[in-house]
Amino acid sequence: MKLRILLADDHEIVRRGLCALLQKHEGWEVCGEASDGREAVEMAKQLKPDVVIVDIGMPYLNGLDTTRQLLQHDPHFKVIVLTITDSDQVIREALDAGARGFVLKSDAARDLVSAVEALQSKRMFFTPRVNDLVLAGFLDKGHAISRNEPPSLPTLTVREREVTQLLAEGKSSKEVATLLNLSTKTVETHRSNIMRKLSLHSIRDLVVYAIKNNIIQIQMPPQLHTETPVLPH
Amino acid sequence: MPGTGAHPASPIIPSSGCEDFAQSCRREQPETMPVRILLVDDHPIVRQGLRTLLEGRTGWEVIGEASDGVEALEKVESLQPDVVVLDVTMPRMNGLEACRLMQQRLNENPVEILFVTQHDSPQMMREALDAGARGYVVKSNAARDLLEAVEAVSQHRVFTALARSPQASC
Repeated sequence: MKLRILLADDHEIVRRGLCALLQKHEGWEVCGEASDGREAVEMAKQLKPDVVIVDIGMPYLNGLDTTRQLLQHDPHFKVIVLTITDSDQVIREALDAGARGFVLKSDAARDLVSAVEALQSKRMFFTPRVNDLVLAGFLDKGHAISRNEPPSLPTLTVREREVTQLLAEGKSSKEVATLLNLSTKTVETHRSNIMRKLSLHSIRDLVVYAIKNNIIQIQMPPQLHTETPVLPH
Repeated sequence: MPGTGAHPASPIIPSSGCEDFAQSCRREQPETMPVRILLVDDHPIVRQGLRTLLEGRTGWEVIGEASDGVEALEKVESLQPDVVVLDVTMPRMNGLEACRLMQQRLNENPVEILFVTQHDSPQMMREALDAGARGYVVKSNAARDLLEAVEAVSQHRVFTALARSPQASC
């Protein structure tokens, strides 16, 4: 029986590349593709894939929260997180969320097949840097993985994290309510609770919080109007 | 008042695989001019996805790949593609700088450049066109816009499409 894989990435181009890579492997099948985290959770519940590969930065529901929701629904789901960064915080959150694999997008062509093979053999797969950090955490005798770890943050509920992401993406309370099938009043209540828990005073503060805590991802554009370097021919 | 307008449940459409998609691309385009394409993006997975889309078109050939602006300059000179599909944000040299240099160096025979980028920004698009590009599409809509964009720029027509714009302009 083929190993069934669900892909979740908001860029179809990336999904096409992942699909082409994975389907070269005999015995593997991409059984579904999702373009955001919410769709990924719904598809996983229906399709029951053996492995779910999630991009960390997706609209509506990011990859880390997708992982949490998948494992809350069924702890047997095996999730590989694809990320553009391997910062301490992202690694820690991916591990805490229950991901069994962690692959840098830039290295996906090299590492993803190995990651899926590992999960297929009931092993985990992490980049060497993640292994180093986990080991350092063990050797540190119970202290935080990184000594630079900020003080622990107030915990948001699953729903509050969902609302945080959608608000940080620029959606109004009404739009959030529609997406989450809630009343606008309920969303406003969540919003107030979030702002109070996190001691935030504006949506701008919320956006900054969401970026710092990998709830949303941004990519900085290159500096414009730079002088063109002179290269030797 | 309870929420209305439930988030519509997306129909579950399992993937039918990459082969079906490639075949449908070929069926839709019986006759096309041959186009030789150089792909430039720092992510191999993205290059693979672009290649899968482009090689579905009969007569189009991906003749090479580069992972940053410096490598792109070398390959444009050695391979002489018709179209360069170029990312903006890359290590060593970004796409805008590479585009300017390409057009400076190939002054007599400029190459057609199509940016495929995450930056859904009118300002970035203007920079790209000022740098000498003929096309600009965003990655989130690349599956929708890429083929039309490559066809347009290969015929020396401008093609731009931001995600926020409902219509492409060409």
